[in-house]
Amino acid sequence: MPHSEHFSKQYDSDLEDVRSRVLQMGGVVEAQILAAIECFSTGDTERMAEVADNELCVNAYEVDIDDLCVHIVARRQPAARDLRLIMGVSKAVTDLERMGDEAEKITRMARLIHERKGPHVPLQAEVRRSGDLAVAQLRHALDAMARLDPDEAERIIREDALIDTEFRGILRQLITFMMEDPRTISTALEIIWVAKAIERIGDHAKNIAEQVIYIVRGTDVRHVGKDRRQGAAGEGH
Amino acid sequence: MSEPKPAIDTLPLKARASALDFYYGDFQALKKIDMPIYEKRVTALIGPSGCGKSTFLRCFNRMHDLYPGNRYVGEISLHPDNVNLLDKSVDPIEVRMRLSMVFQKPNPFPKTIFENVAYGLRVRGLNRRAVLEEKVEEALRAAALWNEVKDRLQDMAFNLSGGQQQRLCIARALATEPEILLFDEPTSALDPIATASIEELITELKQRVTILIVTHNMQQAARVSDFTAYMYIGELVEFGWTDDIFIKPKNPQTEAYITGRFG
Amino acid sequence: MARKDIGEIRGIIARAKRFDMIFGVVGVLALGLGLLTFVTLFVDMALDGYTRLTPDFFTEFPSRRAERAGILSAWVGTTLVMLVTACVAVPLGVAAGIYLEEYAPRNWVTDIIEINITNLAGVPSIIYGLLALGLFIYEFGLGQSILTAGLTLALLILPVVIVATREAIRSIPSHIREGAYALGATKWQVVQHHILPYSMGGIMTGVIIGMARAIGETAPIITIGALTFIAFLPPSPVTTAFPFVSFEWLNSPFTVMPIQIFNWTSRPDPNFHANAAAAGFILVLMTLAMNGLAIWLRYRIRRNIKW
Repeated sequence: MPHSEHFSKQYDSDLEDVRSRVLQMGGVVEAQILAAIECFSTGDTERMAEVADNELCVNAYEVDIDDLCVHIVARRQPAARDLRLIMGVSKAVTDLERMGDEAEKITRMARLIHERKGPHVPLQAEVRRSGDLAVAQLRHALDAMARLDPDEAERIIREDALIDTEFRGILRQLITFMMEDPRTISTALEIIWVAKAIERIGDHAKNIAEQVIYIVRGTDVRHVGKDRRQGAAGEGH
Repeated sequence: MSEPKPAIDTLPLKARASALDFYYGDFQALKKIDMPIYEKRVTALIGPSGCGKSTFLRCFNRMHDLYPGNRYVGEISLHPDNVNLLDKSVDPIEVRMRLSMVFQKPNPFPKTIFENVAYGLRVRGLNRRAVLEEKVEEALRAAALWNEVKDRLQDMAFNLSGGQQQRLCIARALATEPEILLFDEPTSALDPIATASIEELITELKQRVTILIVTHNMQQAARVSDFTAYMYIGELVEFGWTDDIFIKPKNPQTEAYITGRFG
Repeated sequence: MARKDIGEIRGIIARAKRFDMIFGVVGVLALGLGLLTFVTLFVDMALDGYTRLTPDFFTEFPSRRAERAGILSAWVGTTLVMLVTACVAVPLGVAAGIYLEEYAPRNWVTDIIEINITNLAGVPSIIYGLLALGLFIYEFGLGQSILTAGLTLALLILPVVIVATREAIRSIPSHIREGAYALGATKWQVVQHHILPYSMGGIMTGVIIGMARAIGETAPIITIGALTFIAFLPPSPVTTAFPFVSFEWLNSPFTVMPIQIFNWTSRPDPNFHANAAAAGFILVLMTLAMNGLAIWLRYRIRRNIKW
């Protein structure tokens, strides 16, 4: 943290503990997502089992870090930036845990798709690309959290739009497939879930970035874009 | 914290109050207090004014014996030799040789810095200059004051700032290597920075000595202590790990006090 | 607030301040009157007596010739008597004060003792003279000596010393005391290392003020029979032979300054009045000097005591 130390070394050490655990958790979640997307492409069942197991680890991290945050609040009554850090981290951890859930969901869908051993799985490349985008967003978000860099965070928030666009593109193509050949509906639906999960992962990365801005600047930028969009749409009437 | 807490009955015990009553004349100030004091841990006593926490603390070093009309009932046993500190046959001077106290208002003697720290040693018959100098330096280092005063040990103690005076009093209490260090609201007369430095000192000191601290500032108890005891009108309401008391207290009275819903 | 209210308030303040001013004036007048009286008397005495203020005045014995009469025996006598007074009153008074404050149990017996000590300070000094006559001279047979005078005056100022000691001890805050006890000190250690050193300033001040009063006490000294025409000095305390210290002077007849002044004043010869004025002037200076010493001592000792 780029500010001076507290009188209490234990306090500094506790905050550092929180920070490093969040980054560790982020690393695990990142690995989970990459593995999940791998499974979607290759259908590797061993990999799928690994992802299921590591999900427990992700959940344990969430409980652990939240417990640590509660202890710090009880013991230290943090103020100002320290307080925002604890609040922001607590929320970011929830987003990371949800990302873990999404990764696990992707793996489940992947298993269903590959067990069917049906015709060739469409849109693999597109899904893969949006998956890479989402992982990159996560990586940047963790980076922004580590360095408490609000500019990086703002960039992540803007670029979330790309993932949304990708998702809508994939959706349109899949609808076309389903209309052309109803036998592909089951697989197509499963691919939609995967794409949706990836889009959600992107959103969670954006949420983490929003928390970074809150920690550094104290301004809550959640829902700002949406409100503006909804307001504009309303005025269009 | 994330490191698991040891089971409470495996912790070494330094002292235990058992069925302790205390009377100022006819007025009963403490009622049936049962409380363990664990070794090399910080135990904090919190509660509203008049709850008896200072009275309880001062039982440990028999300070009440200095004033007429006070009466102890019950026991405070000191380990490892299991002697009852409150027993009439136990000399209060002996008790005070084993336990030291730091008071609310910094009370350095109107003597030099050196003589202040050395006084407890002189009372124990240590008068050789070389030995005194060594022990005084050690005590001042332990109180994180050595670097500030090493060049002016012959200055009068009252020339130090409030926070420094209190650390001097801590050094004076440490010089005699007490078995328990008693703190009676040690920072209530100090500004926030001096308070923070004393709290940090207490956290370091617990590695060498058991500490019992009375504080009217419960956030201080949350920051500094391992165990907390909540007292109300002379009774012990709840005792436990500080984390548990401040995150999920068992007794609704404790919760009411901690959340500021009364008192 | 409406302007009307402010005006009212201002009127009330103005009236109250008037009383302030009135009292200020009254106070200055009262102080001035007292000071003026003293200064007038002092200057009058100085003017009457300045002709006699020669070095010889201090080294000559009294004589039937006014110009040759000096105060040698008087101021030597005063000094020796004060020495005995101090040596008796200080240890007794300080010890009694310490006992009453630190050791005596707080019961009705102690309360009675306390009341009586304060009352003793107000007993007319002639009573002490009568006591000395009956006890020291007739009962103990100490004779009309410096020792008797010293003991009498010591009794006289004993209450002052005891009260000064107690006040000085009481001014030591309890947290300093508790700090000493908390380190494992016994009661005597606390008295020896803390109570006595810290109260020494107050005690010294009390002792000197007591002595300044004793130096001018005439009634008890007359009662026990100080002589008025002494043309000799008491034997010297320091001797040339072993053991180099003698206590014979304690049993010697003597005179003191107030007696000498009284003697000169009651002579019909007006020339002696100048002597009396000069001696009075010296006596007042001695008293002022002692009080000044007390103030200076108190300042010096207080500098190092802060809590």
